[in-house]
Amino acid sequence: MVVGDISTGTEVLVIGAGPGGYVAAIRAAQLGLDTTLVERDAYGGVCLNRGCIPSKALITAADTAHGAAHAEEMGIHADPAVDMKGMQSWKEGVVDQLTGGVEKLCKANGVNLVEGTAEFAGEGRVRVAHGGEGQGSETIEYEHAIVATGSRPIQIPGFEFDGEHVLSSKDALDLDSVPEELVVVGAGYIGMELSTTYAKLGSDVTVVEMLDGALPSYENDVARVVRKRAEALGVEFHFGEGASEWEPHGEGVRVTTETDDGEEAAYTADKVLVAVGRTPVTDTLGLDAIGLEPDEDGFLATDEFGETDVENVYAVGDVAGEPMLAHKASAEGEVVAEHIAGEPVAMDFQAIPAAVFTDPEIGTVGMTEDEADEAGFDPVVGQMPMNASGRALTLAETDGFVRVVADEETGFLLGAQVVAPEASELVAELALAVEMGATLEDVGRTVHTHPTLSEAVMEAVKNAQGHAIHTLNR
Amino acid sequence: MVREFKLPDVGEGLTEAEIVSWLVEVGDTVSEDQPVAEVETDKAVVEVPAPVNGTVREIRAEEGEMVPVGEVIITFDVEGEPVEPMESDEPAESDDTEDEAGVESAVSAVDDADDEPAESGTATKGGRTFAAPSARRLARELDVDIEAVEGSGPGGRVTEQDVRAHAEHGEEEAETPDEDAEPAVKSATREVTDEPAEHEVTEAAGAGTPSVESADRDRTLAAPATRTLAEEEGVDIDAVPTDETRDGEAFVAPEQVREYAEAQRAAQAADAETVAEAVDEVEGTEADRVERRPYKGIRRTIGDAMERSKYTAPHVTHHEEVVVDDLVATRERLKATAEERGSRLTYTPFVVKAVVEALKEHPILNSQLDEENDEILVNHYYNIGIAVATEAGLMVPVVENADEKGLLAIADEVNELAGKARDRSITREEMQGGTFSITNFGAIGGEYATPIINYPETAILGLGSLEQRPVVEDSGASETPRTSGEAASGEVVAKHTLPLSLSIDHRVIDGADAARFVDTLADYLENPELLLL
Repeated sequence: MVVGDISTGTEVLVIGAGPGGYVAAIRAAQLGLDTTLVERDAYGGVCLNRGCIPSKALITAADTAHGAAHAEEMGIHADPAVDMKGMQSWKEGVVDQLTGGVEKLCKANGVNLVEGTAEFAGEGRVRVAHGGEGQGSETIEYEHAIVATGSRPIQIPGFEFDGEHVLSSKDALDLDSVPEELVVVGAGYIGMELSTTYAKLGSDVTVVEMLDGALPSYENDVARVVRKRAEALGVEFHFGEGASEWEPHGEGVRVTTETDDGEEAAYTADKVLVAVGRTPVTDTLGLDAIGLEPDEDGFLATDEFGETDVENVYAVGDVAGEPMLAHKASAEGEVVAEHIAGEPVAMDFQAIPAAVFTDPEIGTVGMTEDEADEAGFDPVVGQMPMNASGRALTLAETDGFVRVVADEETGFLLGAQVVAPEASELVAELALAVEMGATLEDVGRTVHTHPTLSEAVMEAVKNAQGHAIHTLNR
Repeated sequence: MVREFKLPDVGEGLTEAEIVSWLVEVGDTVSEDQPVAEVETDKAVVEVPAPVNGTVREIRAEEGEMVPVGEVIITFDVEGEPVEPMESDEPAESDDTEDEAGVESAVSAVDDADDEPAESGTATKGGRTFAAPSARRLARELDVDIEAVEGSGPGGRVTEQDVRAHAEHGEEEAETPDEDAEPAVKSATREVTDEPAEHEVTEAAGAGTPSVESADRDRTLAAPATRTLAEEEGVDIDAVPTDETRDGEAFVAPEQVREYAEAQRAAQAADAETVAEAVDEVEGTEADRVERRPYKGIRRTIGDAMERSKYTAPHVTHHEEVVVDDLVATRERLKATAEERGSRLTYTPFVVKAVVEALKEHPILNSQLDEENDEILVNHYYNIGIAVATEAGLMVPVVENADEKGLLAIADEVNELAGKARDRSITREEMQGGTFSITNFGAIGGEYATPIINYPETAILGLGSLEQRPVVEDSGASETPRTSGEAASGEVVAKHTLPLSLSIDHRVIDGADAARFVDTLADYLENPELLLL
């Protein structure tokens, strides 16, 4: 690497190689644009390296161990030994394969990869400081810039992540032993996924949540299924309590919480995991140099083509606003790349599905009944409980339901809430239906395979129409 | 709150208009009725006024863009009302009667408001358009506002066909302003787009081109490679004719797919009309040898009008040369007086007056054919259209009630209207309601022409150039004394002559009527003092 400043030019400069950035870069390159992708850390971003992928690997491993140990009903008696280091190295293998794949795909599509931290140096110019002392930096001149810097975990005051006692979600995915006791601050989707995972691996988990329920962004009956199951796994919930401070306690920690009324409580554990949300990364970008300012939540405002207030500077993914989901970032990345190449595209997604990998999983898309009502529809709802599904019974996972929301007059499917085994997969069909403007009749008349969980989708739709076969119609 | 402003129907039967220029920018403060855009309609540039006091929030159409009537072209933040976030689309059924009324009145400020087609169907319920991503992309590709498209799918879902029909429909309707014709046009369009490819082939084959019989099977056996080939060639494998069978099912070989595809291409090529061929030819030429100009706006309106007239009314043109020495002398005498009174006196007012007098004697030339009711309307008023050549193209302003106006009044009015037409400030009203038209092509040069009637009028008079031409004068009538016995033969002399070309709609007017009318007209032009009677 040359020390000093060298200057290059590119048509499209992408900052950040997460699921928003690398997709935008590959698509731009596919469309014949000269594309440069800057990444300071690891290809694949949070999602591949310390988010979606490693967490799903651990969840699967935990399910396998827990499932084997609790299959007496099926006539299986086992006492699996969990080798956390072995589990971690399997997980690392998965991550390496995927991140290596991303790097290869970028190169194969002709994307120029640059390692370093990018900072705007003025209109049309970015300085990339290469990692490490004396590695130098370079200036890249761009015609179009795509900011895809993603997000990082929020730290709460007094709970600075140290990877030892106070864990971020990233740290929690890298533990090489299962903590006997774990306090989790935050019952959002990350807190719930990790609480469930460690409970299954044998930890005594205590969850502290400031709001008055788990998964507060989901409807009560959806969240309740997940909370009940977590409680059955031994997770203890304390709602309405905010973590105020912690102190070392022997080898472990002692976490103090406080209610709105000032009542204090304390919990001891080996470690405390803080998962209270994520905040967009814009502070390293030198946005001042191009006169761009994030909004009060730190997001960059964009139009329907992903363009920010500064011409030719685009933003995709977490940095461009909620929902902070990898697939939303990728979808936006494609639209922006195609828009720059002059294709008639826009971010006109009807709905962005979301999945939570708890037990059971949650999959949602589009509107809830209340939201449909507020939007001016006359919602009609259909539901199918999983305990009426043959396949759910054979999986021994009968918690949850599939619910669909449609407009009564037109029959258009507006949304769905699935809390069920494989809900993350089941929601794909419903997302397609919502995106296509399919009606209840369309989905209900689609023949579904038996015996599968997806039949529950068809049944819920028919329930909304008033003629479900396997449930009583309300 | 946000006020969306839709392109109003700025003229009868108008379906689209071109945004010529924006007079405001996003963020500008506007007051009610302040012009915000110039829009080119059929024949004029019209200013579109702001419906409210407020600030410009969003400009949704670009200069030069053709916008269908009813499409939102600009939005305003209404003064004194809270500003809404950008995303919130007002739901269609919001009972904002006041808002609606506001839009209406803004519309009528320009012209009578037609019903607004934009907010259609249930597909936009809840501020949302139900359409597949493919249809939405197509809409952007064709520059169609998908919210304005009426959906034909279940529940009013907008399909790709609907988007295409909407895109084509805008143009169709310009030719048939009849509201009733709308559904017919629409379904016809849909039918065409719905037809699978093989129908085109059979139709083309029927038109005397290489015959390709299309099969129409439900099932066809073929190797995967053959199927791939069919896909590549863009043919439906079930339509490929074959005699072969396997296990009782029709079997298609790669050969047959290729043959069929070839035949289909040949048939399609043969089906293409001359026009299409011409277009292809043009496309084949290098871009710098051919300039492509959009056929739209005023040019298109003129073209449509000419096409309708020429293909509706069977034209006959009657030619005559009139000796106008007296007219020349008369005008010469009056010119100075006219100038004193501030008027520029050309020959046109004389011709207008003469035409009016001749029309009074031959009313059938001041008529119109009402095809719907099978009636001929003979007009007892005299609104004379004067064709004016402008940079943008031909315009025909109308001098109303020309029979009630004196020469100078007509002179002034013609000059004023022609000026307005040239600087494009003329209104639609000033170009409507004519009963007979005059075109003075001779001002540029030429003797005779075959003018196209300004339909639904039934006659138009063309004037050649007024200049001295050789005229054979009967010696008897001649003032020149004769010296020899050649009394029977005439003499060629130079006279001021005016060539006349009168085109008539032969459905209503016969050649004899035309000849008689021109005779009378000639009398008045040869002897302008007759106009005093």
